[in-house]
Amino acid sequence: MRSIQRTFPLFVTALLLAVGIVQLTIGYGEVRQASRSVADRRLRFVDSVLVDLFRSSQQRGRITALAKDSAIVAFLRSGGQRGREQALAALRRITLDTATNARLELRDFSGRVLLSTGRFALGDSVLVSPGADSARFGPLIRRDTVLFFGVAAATPGTEQSSGGATEQAGGIVQQIGHLQLNERTRRSLTGLAGGDVAFLFGNAAGDPWTDFASIVPAPPANVRDRHTPTRYERGESKRAIAMAVPGTPWMVATELPTRLIVAPAQAYLLNMAPLAALVVILGTLVAWWGSRRLTAPLVGVTRAAEAIATGDLAQRVPPGRDDELGRLARSFNTMAEQVSRSHHHLEVQVAQRTKALEGTNAELESFSYSVSHDLRAPLRAIHGFARILLEDHHAKLDPEAQRLLGVIDQNTRRMGQLIDDLLAFSRLGRTDVTTGPVDMKELTQLVADEVQRAEAGRNGSLEIQIDPLPPARGDRGLLRQVMSNLLLNAAKFTRGRPSARIEVGSKPNVDQTVYYVKDNGAGFDARYADKLFGVFQRLHSAEEFDGTGVGLAIVKRIVQRHGGRVWAEGAVNQGATFYFTLPGEER
Amino acid sequence: MPPHGVDILLVEDNANDAELTLRALKQRNLANQVHVCRDGAEAMDFFSKGAGAVPKVVLLDLKLPKVDGLEVLRRLKGDARTKAIPIVVLTSSREEPDIERAYALGANSYIVKPVDFEAFARAVSDVGLYWLLLNHPPQ
Repeated sequence: MRSIQRTFPLFVTALLLAVGIVQLTIGYGEVRQASRSVADRRLRFVDSVLVDLFRSSQQRGRITALAKDSAIVAFLRSGGQRGREQALAALRRITLDTATNARLELRDFSGRVLLSTGRFALGDSVLVSPGADSARFGPLIRRDTVLFFGVAAATPGTEQSSGGATEQAGGIVQQIGHLQLNERTRRSLTGLAGGDVAFLFGNAAGDPWTDFASIVPAPPANVRDRHTPTRYERGESKRAIAMAVPGTPWMVATELPTRLIVAPAQAYLLNMAPLAALVVILGTLVAWWGSRRLTAPLVGVTRAAEAIATGDLAQRVPPGRDDELGRLARSFNTMAEQVSRSHHHLEVQVAQRTKALEGTNAELESFSYSVSHDLRAPLRAIHGFARILLEDHHAKLDPEAQRLLGVIDQNTRRMGQLIDDLLAFSRLGRTDVTTGPVDMKELTQLVADEVQRAEAGRNGSLEIQIDPLPPARGDRGLLRQVMSNLLLNAAKFTRGRPSARIEVGSKPNVDQTVYYVKDNGAGFDARYADKLFGVFQRLHSAEEFDGTGVGLAIVKRIVQRHGGRVWAEGAVNQGATFYFTLPGEER
Repeated sequence: MPPHGVDILLVEDNANDAELTLRALKQRNLANQVHVCRDGAEAMDFFSKGAGAVPKVVLLDLKLPKVDGLEVLRRLKGDARTKAIPIVVLTSSREEPDIERAYALGANSYIVKPVDFEAFARAVSDVGLYWLLLNHPPQ
């Protein structure tokens, strides 16, 4: 059974759950979006700091300037111990000036080292082939866990013209730098980006990359190319932004683990979900309590209404409240009061009517008793004395007097028959119908035999055909009278036929059986079909066919008392069919 | 009235019915020893005053003035001296309750008077013949 008391809290719970889930989803999405954009801003900022850091080294400008230094140029041109000292001093100035632990070399065009300063030695080869007028960067070089870069510039006036002197005068200044980030910078940048940040350095040429502590694989191509926030997997999910260092072929990239970025969103979920659950539980409890409070009085009214429906008219509802529900209870009580009162009134009326009907019935009974007893006595006297006149005083009566006495004789007989039929009819209303299974086929056969005997002396043949008939449920005695009246009726109205034929059959109906008696007799005018079953209603004159017109009325009354229906079909001189329905055997 | 030698006691308030009954009996020569009572009280008097008078049959109508036919039947059948007397109820009523009560009170037969005179005459004379000639009462 559906119940508001249960469905309402369920509805509220579902609603709160839906709102909670939507709220959490949207909140989670927004927090994640916000922390992503914060992370992106930080990644870009760190990138730009790194870019500034490596651009500020100004390697290209410095190496170009160094290549033009007069001491270097002079040393290359003139050589000598003093020139060497001055050139070395120029080189050392830069080595001390930079934080890259630079090694500076001066080589001739054949690659031979003329001068060198700084700690690192990378072999004798020229790392970078310098351009004619400006510095060039070489590839990044890995040694153990450290990455080095090379940048070189040619000294001026070193065109490759003919003559050894000119050749002698030119050279290459090359710097080898250790790519590193000092601890202080690293720490302040880490603080800016929020822990677990990784700083990557490399180039797009396919050389190794470093995180300033070790050599690392290069970030994926899409990170290097796009310069926008990109997510990718390396051990775990990362988010990275790359940025090119202007004036160099280098590139920096900063990455954060995705888990750090979504951590605030997850923290939001972790904090908000229990809160939302608490709200849902509280809401459910409140809804449950509210619906109980709201429906409890309704349950009371419902119970009372059900009690009244089952006949307990004294049932009332306690009206104890001052709101709509209290008003409902009071209206209900008023209604119950009125129902109770009109029910009582009805009972009194029924009792009165029943009493009146019983009185009427008793009167009717004494009336029919009087008819039975008192009307027949004078009739018998009239008939008796008319007969006596005819028998004892025959000689004194002329033929007309005798004919008149004959008329009296006939009419008193007929009136006797009328009284008998009328009494039989009125008795039907008072007889109890005792129902049981009735074998209609066997019953009809019995009646048919009787009718054949009664019609033995008729002119012409009489055939009564009985089809298989389903059993009925009813009063055997009364049903026998129905069949008897119908067969006698059919026999009577086929008297003029040389070969009379009566057929008794049946056809199934919805929940009843339709039985019929069909004859090929005089039939009747279909316009008067409804008059056939009235008491004393006759469609033929007494001269044509005898009878009092009660037989079919009796048939109708018996069938109706069985809950059935009668009707007739026919046409003048084309026979008649009488139908009646009876409840089936099993019900 | 000589109570002795009564064969048939006819209790009938309707003079016409009484006359028709007598005529039917007369035709069979059964009317010589018939005594007619006009109501129930008279019938009861017949038995209380004419002590020892035992008719061979009583033809009793049911609807009678003063004492009702069923009451007469009840008293006669309830009295040891008269309960052996055959009583034939001869009435116009074919009501089932009347028939049942009459037999319950000990009626020997119940005849419904036909309206048709021939049938009536035949019924009365048959009853007379049966009870006067065929039936053998206790001595």
